[in-house]
Amino acid sequence: MMKRSFQSLTAILAATSALGWGVASAASTEVADPTAAVEHQGHLVVLTKFGMQRLAPYFEALAQQYEEMHPGVTVELIQEDDDSIKGKTKTLVASNSVPDIYFSWTGTWGGNFIRGKRAVDLTPVVGPGSEWGKTFAPAAVDAFVYDGKNYGIPLYLDAKFMGYSKTIFADLGLEEPEDLDAMLNACDTIKDAGITPISFGNKEAWPGIHYIGQLLAYNVPREVLEQDFDPATAEYSHPGYVAALEQFGQILNRCTIGAGVNGVSYQNAIQDLSDGRSAMYYQEIIEFDNAASASTKLSPQDFGFFALPAPADAAGDPDALEGAPEGYMISSASSNVPLALDFMKFVTSQDNAKVLSSPPYGQPSAVVGGSDAAQMSPAVVEGLQSIADASYLMQWLDTVNHPRVAAAWLSNLQAFIGGNMSAEDVVTEVREAAAAAS
Amino acid sequence: MAATSQIMQNGSVAGAAVHPLSPRRRRWLEPHRLLGHVLALRWIALALIIVGWFVYYPIIDNFFVSTTNQDIFTGEVMHVGLENYRRLADDRVVLTALWNNTAYALLSILFQVFGAFCLAAIVEALRSARWRNFWRAVYFVPSAISTTVTGLLFYFIYQPNIGILDGLLTGLGLEQWSRVWLGDPSTAIYAIIAMSQWQGFGYSTLLFTIAIQKIPQELYDAARMDGAGPLRQLWNITFPLTREMTGMMIIVTITGAFQVFNEVMVMTGGGPNNSSQVLGTWLYQQGFIQNDMGYAAAIASVVFAVTMLAASAQLWLTRRRRVLV
Repeated sequence: MMKRSFQSLTAILAATSALGWGVASAASTEVADPTAAVEHQGHLVVLTKFGMQRLAPYFEALAQQYEEMHPGVTVELIQEDDDSIKGKTKTLVASNSVPDIYFSWTGTWGGNFIRGKRAVDLTPVVGPGSEWGKTFAPAAVDAFVYDGKNYGIPLYLDAKFMGYSKTIFADLGLEEPEDLDAMLNACDTIKDAGITPISFGNKEAWPGIHYIGQLLAYNVPREVLEQDFDPATAEYSHPGYVAALEQFGQILNRCTIGAGVNGVSYQNAIQDLSDGRSAMYYQEIIEFDNAASASTKLSPQDFGFFALPAPADAAGDPDALEGAPEGYMISSASSNVPLALDFMKFVTSQDNAKVLSSPPYGQPSAVVGGSDAAQMSPAVVEGLQSIADASYLMQWLDTVNHPRVAAAWLSNLQAFIGGNMSAEDVVTEVREAAAAAS
Repeated sequence: MAATSQIMQNGSVAGAAVHPLSPRRRRWLEPHRLLGHVLALRWIALALIIVGWFVYYPIIDNFFVSTTNQDIFTGEVMHVGLENYRRLADDRVVLTALWNNTAYALLSILFQVFGAFCLAAIVEALRSARWRNFWRAVYFVPSAISTTVTGLLFYFIYQPNIGILDGLLTGLGLEQWSRVWLGDPSTAIYAIIAMSQWQGFGYSTLLFTIAIQKIPQELYDAARMDGAGPLRQLWNITFPLTREMTGMMIIVTITGAFQVFNEVMVMTGGGPNNSSQVLGTWLYQQGFIQNDMGYAAAIASVVFAVTMLAASAQLWLTRRRRVLV
C-alpha cells in the first residue's frame, strides 16, 4: 500500500551517520603522479551521468572494450541521469563510498569535492604544459580549476540554445530573431497560427532557471554575478536581476502555455518540438541529437538554433552564453588512481571522443580534434563554433550557487511562473537565502 | 528515621505481610529451569541484535545527528543543540509539509479505511462467489502496480492540454474546471493524494474482505431472523467484529501517510514552489540536495514523533479486546 522508500530513506540517513560514518571524514588530498606505473589489475567503479537510454551504451561499450584490452580489470558502471545523479552522488559521499571516477559539474558542485578533499589533484597530469592536458580545449580544462589546481577531466562542452523548426519559421515568414523583442513578436505570429511558440516544461524546476541564467548574463555585469555567487559577498542589489525576471515573464506569457509549464516535464517539452507541436524549445547542445534525429518528425536538416536573443538595452554581456563543460573527477579514496587515470585517458582518446560527438550521442567532446564534422550533426558543429565565439560561459545557476541559494532560485521561480510571486519577491528570497548560507 | 528503621533487612516493611515467592516463580528459578531460560535466549539473541542495530539504534542516533550541523563533503560536525528544532518552527515549508501529510492521512482514512470497509462489505454481500472473486481482483489490481509506474501514469492523466482528465472535462462541457493539476499549488498535493487512493483502495478492501470472511455466518442468519436489515447488520455485526482490523488499518494508514515519499517525488518533486512537499521529500531535499544532514535528521525526528504518537493513541483507543464469537 504505502511507501517503503521513506523507511529506506530514513534508514540511509541514520545508517550513514551511524558510529560517525554518517558524515564520513574526508580523505587527504592526493596529487596525481604522471610517472606512476599503471598496473592493469583491479576493479574500477565509475559514476556517470549517461543513464538515459540514448546515452547509456557509450560508457557500456567503453567499459567492455577496456576490459577486453586489460583482462585483469573490471569496470563497474553506475549510470544516472540529470536529476538522479544529484541525490546519488551525495548519498555515496555521505556513506564514504565515492566511486573511483565520478561525474561533476563545474562551479560550486565540483568545489564541494575539493573542499572535502575528495578529489585527486590532477594538475601534474592535465594542468598547464601536461601532455594529456594539451589534448583538451583550454577553456574546458580551466573550468575545473579551483585554487589554481586542476581537479577535473572535461568530457564534453555544453551550452544552452533555442532550437527551432526551420519549416514552421519559413512557413510563417519568420527569421532567426536578432533581439528579445523580435523573438516575442515571432511568438505572437506563431501563436496566431495555432502552434505553441516555445514548449517549456518546468516540473523539475531547473529548466526555468536556465532561462534566468542566460538572461542574467545579459542583464547583470559578470563581476557583479561572480560576487553574488559567493554567499559571503552576495548582495543581489543590481537592478538587472529584476529586469531578467521580468523579461522571462514576457517570454512565459507570450511564448509558452504560461503557468501550466509547472505541470509539464522537460522531456515532454522537448518531445513537443520533436513532434512538430511547438516551434521552439530552449535546450542544451547535448540534446540537439535528441530533439531532431532520424526517428523524430523534426529532421536534423529541419532543425535550427540560435542563442536566446538578448534584450536591446542589455546592461550585462550580450555575447555571453550559458553553459559549461562537464567532466569527471578521480576520488582521492580510490585504491588505484593510476588505473582510473588510464581508463579516463582511454575514454578521452580522439577516436572515442569522435564517437561521443556523433549521433546518437551528440555530446560535443572537449577533446581537441575530438569531433569530426562529417560524422556530426550540422547543428552540433555550428553550436560548438558558437560556444567558441562566446565572450564567456555563464555557469548553470543551480550548480554555481550554494545549494541553499540554488534551492531558493528553483522553488521561487516556480512560484513566479505560477503567478504567485513578483520578480522583486524572488530576488528578495534569493538574497535572504544567500544571507542564511553565508 | 522512624520510617527507615521500619525497613527490615529483607527489604520488607515492618508490619506488612512478607510474601514468599510464589510456587510458579520458585519453579522458574530452579537451577535447571533457569539454565534452560538462559539457553533459550540464544534463539532470540540474533533477532534482538538485528532489531536493535537496524531499528532502535538508528532512531537514537538520528536524534543525536539532529543536534549537529554536518557537512557531508568535509566531514565537519558542529554541535548546535536544539537549533535545528528551532529552525523547524520557523520553516514555512515544514508547516506546509505537515499539513500535506495530515491531509494525506485524513483522506486516506476516509477512503482507504472507511471507504474500503464499505466496499468490502458490499462485495462480500454478493451472492455469487464468481462475482465476489471478480470484484476482489478488479479492486486489487492497482495495488499490484509499482508506485513509480502509477505516478507516471497519473502524471500523463493530469497533463495540461493533452491529459485524459482535462480531455474528459472538456468533453463533458466542464472545461472551466480544467487546470494544471500538478502545476497549480492549490491542487498539486490533492492530485497526488487522489492517485494514492486509487492505488491503495483495493489493498485495504482485500484486507477488510478477509476480516469479514472470518465472521460466522450464523450471526447474520440470526440477525436476519430478528428482522435486521443490511445496514443494521453492517453496523451491529460487521463493524464491531472487524474493529481490530479497522484499528490496525488506521494505524498503518496514518503512519503510511507520514512516510509518503515516492508518489510526491515522481509526480511533482515537492513543487511547485514547495506546495506539495511532505515531510519525507523535504527531509530528502534538505539532506541530499541542500547538504544539511542535521536539519534533515530533525525532520526525521518529527516524523518519528508524529507516527509514534498516532500509533500509541490508536493502540490505546482500541485496547478493548476483540469480541469473541
